[in-house]
Amino acid sequence: MRILLAALGIVFASCAALAQRPAKPAPGFPDAPGKETLVAKCFQCHGPNMWTAQRQDRRAWESTLYRMVGRGALWSEEEIKAMADYLGAVYGKSAR
Amino acid sequence: MRELVARYLSHSISRRAFLTGLTRAGLTLAAARSVVESVVPAAHAQDAEGVRIVEGTGGECFAEQLIASGVKYVFGNSASEDATFYEALVDRPQLKYILTPHEGPGAAMAAGYVKASGEPTLVMQAAVVGLANAIGQMFNAYKEQTPLVFYSYRTDQTGRAGRDGFEEVANQEAIVAPLTKYAWLARRADMIPETVRRAFKAAWTPPFGPTYASWHSDLNDETTRAEVVLQSKVDPRMRVRPNPAEVERAAKLLVEARMPLMIVGDEVTRAKASAKAEKLAVLLGMAVTQARQIHASFPEAHPLWVGVLPVGRISSLDYPKNPDVVINVGNKLQHNSATPMIGRGVKFIDLRIDSASMGNVIATDVPLVADVAHGLDDLTAAVEQLLTTSIRQKAADRAQEVRRFSDRARTLRAMVVKNPNWDASPMLADRVTWELGQFADRDAIIVHEAGSVTPHGFDFDPGGGRELFYYYGAHLGSGVGTAAGVKLARPRQQVICLVGDGSFIFGPTALWNMARLELPVITVVYNNHAYSGPHSRVIEKLPQGRMVETGHFFHDYLGNPDMNMAWIAKGFGVEAEVARSPAELTAALGRARRSTLDGKPYLIDAQVARVGVAWADKPWIPPIA
Repeated sequence: MRILLAALGIVFASCAALAQRPAKPAPGFPDAPGKETLVAKCFQCHGPNMWTAQRQDRRAWESTLYRMVGRGALWSEEEIKAMADYLGAVYGKSAR
Repeated sequence: MRELVARYLSHSISRRAFLTGLTRAGLTLAAARSVVESVVPAAHAQDAEGVRIVEGTGGECFAEQLIASGVKYVFGNSASEDATFYEALVDRPQLKYILTPHEGPGAAMAAGYVKASGEPTLVMQAAVVGLANAIGQMFNAYKEQTPLVFYSYRTDQTGRAGRDGFEEVANQEAIVAPLTKYAWLARRADMIPETVRRAFKAAWTPPFGPTYASWHSDLNDETTRAEVVLQSKVDPRMRVRPNPAEVERAAKLLVEARMPLMIVGDEVTRAKASAKAEKLAVLLGMAVTQARQIHASFPEAHPLWVGVLPVGRISSLDYPKNPDVVINVGNKLQHNSATPMIGRGVKFIDLRIDSASMGNVIATDVPLVADVAHGLDDLTAAVEQLLTTSIRQKAADRAQEVRRFSDRARTLRAMVVKNPNWDASPMLADRVTWELGQFADRDAIIVHEAGSVTPHGFDFDPGGGRELFYYYGAHLGSGVGTAAGVKLARPRQQVICLVGDGSFIFGPTALWNMARLELPVITVVYNNHAYSGPHSRVIEKLPQGRMVETGHFFHDYLGNPDMNMAWIAKGFGVEAEVARSPAELTAALGRARRSTLDGKPYLIDAQVARVGVAWADKPWIPPIA
């Protein structure tokens, strides 16, 4: 169990499944401004499940994206803004 | 008196008998003690051939071989059947015993010492019951290729083994076989030294790894005659140069490459070959990255550094996107996916001493089995032979392109401070890390066991700058012990331990060693009262599941009551405080610096926010009724 706690293991594991298929989003990502940036930037490492269970407001999504910068993501402010706008609209607190 | 000295030097009489004899011969007690002190080093010195006969208990022979094997520190937990060994320590002050109150953090401390000093040490425990506690760190040593020697006796004695006695288990040494390079049971007391030096030889012959020595406890008490041999007389000193024909092939591939990429790893740090790796990279204008390892083996501020592999595949790098030739220099290349780290269409050169790992997953065009320092020397020389004016120009142009990327990446990474919750309390983990990056000495050592924390902002540099000791093995509870061992080995460098609350609580006992031995480590606990990693991971597996729907997570919340790590530290004799905001953190770091300058360790319990999917403000706790 202790070994499973290692965060990098988590990251690796989350990408393991992704590695088996092309980097394209699963159903559930409606078209809206910012989607293209999200798909291009986030699916490099993450599977779609990182989003589908999460509901939070735009500010919280923006904070999440900046935490990814801390983990090595190389995004411009404009790209982060576009992704935060999209996620806040599509996966905001009131979204189903 | 001459005869007395000769008998003492030949181990025919004990130190006490020698002292008594000197006083009977007319010396005052003070004078006799002075004579004893002057003779002690000679009594334990080897003869010119490095081989000598020692008479004494099994415990004495054990101690003598440890000295001959170059051991200065022994890390142990109290073991009744090691009485004769402890007795031997009394007159062998050059062999220092460090009592560790739990075998796990004790073994982590030993491993930290070995990794930071490059010197041999021994971890010892009481029989199988103590060994079981140390096995987690043995796993880490195995994964991390740390040359750590473990010993524990079998409580059962030779005359009554096999009767399911107290602390007895069948085939004790076989328990650790999958985690060691060598595990052996000495059959006689006179074989104790040989078993010990073979354990050191196997551990310290590359690729390194842990070993285990054992024997029945009564062999410690037997009086015997045994050969004690200097380790240098049995060490194969394996520093292999690569096959020259393969070196030529590798050099040709590299100079003809459109976009070569270098991956570095721990063998570079162990061989102190970072500057050699840098020289080869500069020669070719070659981008450099690193897959997950213990150390940062290339200067992160270097213009050819393009960052670590985000998810363990070169295709996940932002740059370069399509390298055509990849050279690995001393990285274990841990695979956590069915997809090879390096795709099949890329030419691959693998330079490392760990030949058994080569070719297992990645198709290898040029294997270079070698000590990486020698390998880099030979390869650099071969590349230099092939460089023409046009190839040099091509390399210079490529270096400019890599620099443009690394400059931009540096700017983008610095944006971490623009997080809208940057000043929040409880703090973002990134804020804590950033503050530590601002605070740490320019040559600080960062010991890292904080699962969800990326150590950004430190600009690690193995060439005299900040160094990283990362928890590659990932059996948790190693961080605090490792930091204590690192500080013991490197007393003049600042040592900061970054540890998550979940990891910390597995192994805080080494704080007591820091306090007792005055090892002034700064420990910072990222305390979010949760196992964040497993929380996110189960949700990713079951995003539409009942756990998410109900908020009933069974496995992740460590609060209510919240653990106070500062109180725990104070219980071990380490001054500590809780920091809830960035302002409190910076003030606490100031106090930590002053404390460590006074030679005292310090702990900061940094309250960080639980972030990620589906955390409730007051997480649910599973009922038991």
